[in-house]
Amino acid sequence: MKKLVGAFMFATLVLVACGGRSVSIADIEPLEPTNPDAIQALLADSEQPVVLNVWASWCGPCRSEAPLLRAANEEFGQQVRFIGVDVRDSQDGARTFIAEFGLNGFRHFFDRDGAVPAALRGFGVPLTFFFAPGGELVHLHNGVIDERTLALQIDELLQR
Amino acid sequence: MEFTLLGSVAIAVVIMYGVLLFEGGRTNAADCTKDVWDALIAAVVVGVVIGRLTAMISAGTSPLSHPGDILIVRAGVDTIAASVAAVATYSFVTRNDPWWLADAAAPAAIAGLAGWHGGCIVRDACLGTPSDLPWAVAQTGSLVSRHPVEIYTALLLLVTAGLTIWWKLHRPRPGVVAALGVASVATARLVTEPLRLGLGGDLLWWYTIALVTALAVLALRLRRNTEKSRHPI
Repeated sequence: MKKLVGAFMFATLVLVACGGRSVSIADIEPLEPTNPDAIQALLADSEQPVVLNVWASWCGPCRSEAPLLRAANEEFGQQVRFIGVDVRDSQDGARTFIAEFGLNGFRHFFDRDGAVPAALRGFGVPLTFFFAPGGELVHLHNGVIDERTLALQIDELLQR
Repeated sequence: MEFTLLGSVAIAVVIMYGVLLFEGGRTNAADCTKDVWDALIAAVVVGVVIGRLTAMISAGTSPLSHPGDILIVRAGVDTIAASVAAVATYSFVTRNDPWWLADAAAPAAIAGLAGWHGGCIVRDACLGTPSDLPWAVAQTGSLVSRHPVEIYTALLLLVTAGLTIWWKLHRPRPGVVAALGVASVATARLVTEPLRLGLGGDLLWWYTIALVTALAVLALRLRRNTEKSRHPI
């Protein structure tokens, strides 16, 4: 029994030590600063639905939903535009976060003061906004988003 | 939002315990309720923890460097790892009388699962693929009606739980009720999985394996001679 438990723990440590989906931080460019007007213009000009995720490297729940957003971008990235907005953070922290979770598949902006989510009437972190083409807000999800909710809201965008 | 998840868990746990209390002295031995309850709770906790750890590792997050992320269950629990760990834990805890205690737990476990799925109302996570059926539901502000797939699953599992209690009244051989219960749960998931939205691949293959395994166990248990339980009703 002890050998079995020991083997299990060793296997777990090996799995944990194995590389995940991370990329090299050197491959991550500094995030482009943004503001509410720029984001509103980007949303208005978008011909695709947009999923806008507000996150921060210091945000624990953001860490947990990051893999879901990466998976969603991999599956729906041709039909839906994914955007990340990093708030109240540092460039190093943001780049490290993006590198750790392999989120370089979609564009991220840097919002030092957190003005963007406030302008979109969202509070706290994380937030996930779902916009129809042209910038109409379809849904705002507060807090950690789970797989089912993310899949449902993306499907709502695609059904419109 | 994590509180809505806890709400679903609370519903599942209350239903599970309620069914165990109902069965005590009726279709379960009166003295096995506590043992079964303890084993079920252990199985649920271990299953969730292992499932969460597996989801984290699969996503590239080290639980050693970020142990707090284990608690953010809403971000995902690996279904396969969780179910295997739960069954293994229950089997280990009840290893002295496995088949009878599996039968004793089956209705409560299935009813608890039904409660978890029904708790989608609390989490606002009941809806699946689009549908034109009369009972299809659209979320607030949407024109797209959808299958309330989690409600379907909850209802199927409630029926299954009722059937397992009914089967127990006929005193089948040990393990038969549990195997039938697993087969019914796998079937319920197989039927509803195509209506469920998600990311990445589906789990149809896993539920098929569960169904085939349960049917194989059922066939084996039906072939064995009648065994005496240490927990006779």
